[in-house]
Amino acid sequence: MKPLSYVQVRTAREAIEAFVAAGESARYIAGGTNLYDLMKLGIEKPAHLIDIADLDGANRIDTDGDRLFFGGAALMADVAEHPVVRDDYPVLAESLSKAASQQLRNMATVGGNLLQRTRCPYFRNGADGTYPCNKREPGSGCAAIGGIDRSQAVLGASAACNAVSPGDWPVALMAMDAAVELQGLDGTRVIPISELYRPPSRTPHLEFTIGREEIVTGISVPKTAAGRNSTYLKVRDRESYAFALVSAAVALEMDGDRVRQAHVALGGVATVPWRGRPAEAVLRGETLDRGRALEAARAAFAEARAGRHNAFKIELGARTLADAIINAGSRNQ
Amino acid sequence: MTPNRNADRPRIDAHEKVLGRALYAADQPFPGLLHAMTVPATIAKGRILSIDTAAALQVPGVVRVFTHDDFSQIRTTPAARGAYGQPGKGHQPMTAPQVRHRGEPVALVVAETLEAAVEGAEAVTVRYAEESFSARMDDDLAGPEPEAAGQLASGDAEAAFANAAHIVDVEYRHPQQHHNPIELISTTAAFEDGTLRIYEGTQSAAAFAGGLAGMMGMEPQALRGVSPYTGGGFGQKNGVQEQSVLVASAALLLRRPVKLVMPRGQLFHTASYRPQSRHRVRLAADGNGRLLAGIYETVQQNSRYDGFGSDHGANPPRMYGYGAWRGSERIVRVDTQTPGHQRAPHEHPASHATECALDELAGALGMDPVALRLANDTQRDPITGKPFSSRHLADCLRRGAARFGWERWTNQPGALVAGNGDRIGLGVACGSYKAAMTPSVTTLRLSAGGQCRIATSGHEMGQGLRTVIAAELIDVLGVDPGKLDIRIGDTGHAPQHLTAGSWGAGSAAPAARAAALKLREELSQLTGAVLSDEPVHVQLARTRRPYLEVSVDTVPLGKDRQAIEQLRRGMPVTTGPEYPDFLAFSWIAHFAEVHVEPSTGRVRVRRVVSVADCGRVMNRRTAESQVRGGVVWGIGAALREAGECDPRFGGVLNNDLADYVVPVNADVGAIEVDFIDEPDTRLNLSGVKGLGEVAMVGAAAAIVNAVHNATGRRIRHLPIRIEDLL
Repeated sequence: MKPLSYVQVRTAREAIEAFVAAGESARYIAGGTNLYDLMKLGIEKPAHLIDIADLDGANRIDTDGDRLFFGGAALMADVAEHPVVRDDYPVLAESLSKAASQQLRNMATVGGNLLQRTRCPYFRNGADGTYPCNKREPGSGCAAIGGIDRSQAVLGASAACNAVSPGDWPVALMAMDAAVELQGLDGTRVIPISELYRPPSRTPHLEFTIGREEIVTGISVPKTAAGRNSTYLKVRDRESYAFALVSAAVALEMDGDRVRQAHVALGGVATVPWRGRPAEAVLRGETLDRGRALEAARAAFAEARAGRHNAFKIELGARTLADAIINAGSRNQ
Repeated sequence: MTPNRNADRPRIDAHEKVLGRALYAADQPFPGLLHAMTVPATIAKGRILSIDTAAALQVPGVVRVFTHDDFSQIRTTPAARGAYGQPGKGHQPMTAPQVRHRGEPVALVVAETLEAAVEGAEAVTVRYAEESFSARMDDDLAGPEPEAAGQLASGDAEAAFANAAHIVDVEYRHPQQHHNPIELISTTAAFEDGTLRIYEGTQSAAAFAGGLAGMMGMEPQALRGVSPYTGGGFGQKNGVQEQSVLVASAALLLRRPVKLVMPRGQLFHTASYRPQSRHRVRLAADGNGRLLAGIYETVQQNSRYDGFGSDHGANPPRMYGYGAWRGSERIVRVDTQTPGHQRAPHEHPASHATECALDELAGALGMDPVALRLANDTQRDPITGKPFSSRHLADCLRRGAARFGWERWTNQPGALVAGNGDRIGLGVACGSYKAAMTPSVTTLRLSAGGQCRIATSGHEMGQGLRTVIAAELIDVLGVDPGKLDIRIGDTGHAPQHLTAGSWGAGSAAPAARAAALKLREELSQLTGAVLSDEPVHVQLARTRRPYLEVSVDTVPLGKDRQAIEQLRRGMPVTTGPEYPDFLAFSWIAHFAEVHVEPSTGRVRVRRVVSVADCGRVMNRRTAESQVRGGVVWGIGAALREAGECDPRFGGVLNNDLADYVVPVNADVGAIEVDFIDEPDTRLNLSGVKGLGEVAMVGAAAAIVNAVHNATGRRIRHLPIRIEDLL
């Protein structure tokens, strides 16, 4: 049997020290919902697990200040059901409640969720050597390009990789200009969530800017009235328990019936959680109707490039985003 | 006898199952049990150059690594696999350094623990010489075969088209699908009392004596197949599996019990599946909607080395009173494992094609599709001219239409709009499935204390066969359900038939009933009087006998005693749908209501009403459950399921339950079930025709037709996905 060490620690400092001491084959574990899955697929083969689920205060949810704060180990289920999140930031609550299943949300943490790895079937399926994958085996090639690419990205792909960033929560956070608190050997730093994700370019195996030993200790979201005028719309191959084909996070700062500033992000269609700036530009200063929403949504996909089987994501994505813009606008009281 | 024969009863084994007392194959505890894991081939076709087992043997706990060098003596016999396919050349993995499909086992690691077996399997390295292959029926290297003999025909179909007022000529395509029963396929082999017992969740415990023994050069009586509970079969567990003989041989060579539970990801590559198929349907009608002729041509995927016959043409000509008919079936060989029977194996894809084509014809005629079907109802098989034993399809349609509210239907697509703007579509389709039967051997023992034990042929795979047997014993003997001991799925208790094709209830119920009636007769002779209303065991106790035992061989209609000998030898023997004086089918009508979101094209199945004519309903509760399950399969087929193959690699890309998309609860709207419940006593003593398969037939077509009614879009392939309706 493969030896596997496991330690539980109480502080981030202890965790980092244990991680560094354990060397290359160490992994942090919290909910384990992605790590165990990847271990069963033979993609992750850790020899040392450092459990950070119970770090002191790491599951804190604080909505009192001028930012919402979610500890890295707060459970997806707890954040989704928090009254302030549920009532004042539906985009956040919906992105969580439409992800995975209740059982998984009861285990998975909001910090770990930021680092969930792609669902690209060629990535997940080929650890036995069947399918090449630049993410799994750098330099081996990409079987998804030119293959069964229905699920693959139409935005942000490179010649080396077109795997979709799978999350819902990161997409909502992207729209809401969230910041991520990271703790490492040299203390704590805070980065905008947009800087957490690396485009695949020629090194798709490097997915995050986070240092190997760094821990996501918290996520914060600036409080904004746009939170109430927000929605997360997710379209998938079945009504529940599936990853997004396309998803849209929209929050609207309104000035009467005009959009002062729209916050738009897309999921299921891009290699990283994707900010839809062109859509935001179209909406700025405008009143909302179906035509304007669709025009904005199409702008968000202006740079999209289809493969063999995923062209539908461009049209479906635009229509879904348009629906989300209308939904968010209808929540404006 | 109690008047309430088709009572709504809980499953007789529900309590055992809920408490976890029912032991499935992989639950069997054995001291000294070894665990096995397979090494799947990572190429689609070629030769094995070398297998390096050194690293695997270094893994602590690994006992042995088997390769083709160890198993070359295993024989491939025609009976070994695909019990109901046409016998082919066959291929047993690990008997030669040859790979015929991706994922087939090339080595078997046996260890003291499952973890060591898994780690050992990962440590085996195999070098291959790859060969060119084709994994899809549309590929250049696929091997089409000429049309098989014996195609159904009557009259001059081509000539009828010349005079037709309305014609449809359409092609429908069906994808590869995978059964995915929740109980994984597993094999445990152990020597007990001098015989090799094979514990495997199966629909055919006799396949081990009939097939495995031959493969291993053993006498059939040296093997015992044990499968008292199967956690869903759906046709995937109806024969010897690729791994069965490997595990049995490992147990034989190591003289220790060995267990292998196949991981789900591997089962997509080793177990059977529903093959891809194409269906060209041509229908001709006169101006009044009378069906003048049908021409139905199908092409079905197959493996290179074995035969899974195509049978798409068997049911469509029996659905309506066609004036003339011509069928044609062909197969195309590709480099995959052999496909096989999956719930309503050919009837479902055929009903998809033909019932949707009929909807298209109704459109061309400007006719209500329910009226079109009623106008072409028939009590006689157009092919043979024989009558049907019973056919209440028109009643299914009428009762279903009333319950569903079919009067809301209009021929204007998108005319019905829901409050939220969704387009509402209504669709109808019908289905049939042969009423088949198979012989049974039954021993029934009633004890004076009230215990009642029956050993008979048949497998419990979740469909409720034990409960059907219990219903007959309760009905005829009035025995206490709590004192029933029903022994099935075990060749140690009775010869076992392959339980499939909806002949389970139609065979087991008459067998149990015949045994119970014989027991009453013998008890009556013992007591010297007509039996009273007192419990039978009380009347037996008065004779001072501890028990009374009877044995009955049940031979289905149209067969003779030879069938019993075939059953005893583990050979499949079934009858139907054609019997000497009639044809027998179960029938069903499905009505579906879908709501389609205009912006995204998302389809939601809000409601399905299904009315079945399955002869006598043995148990309202399990029967309704069967139909609901069949409709859920129909929803999956219509909107969700497809095995994806990348032709450059072969194999199934989406080989897990996350990416092989089956419906979840949120995908399933209200399903309302009703039955005609008219016993078909011309067919058998119990009046049962079978239900598990017919439940699915036509369900997908009703949904596809409803999607057309909502959108005006005729999607001629399954599944209908979101991109099809954008």
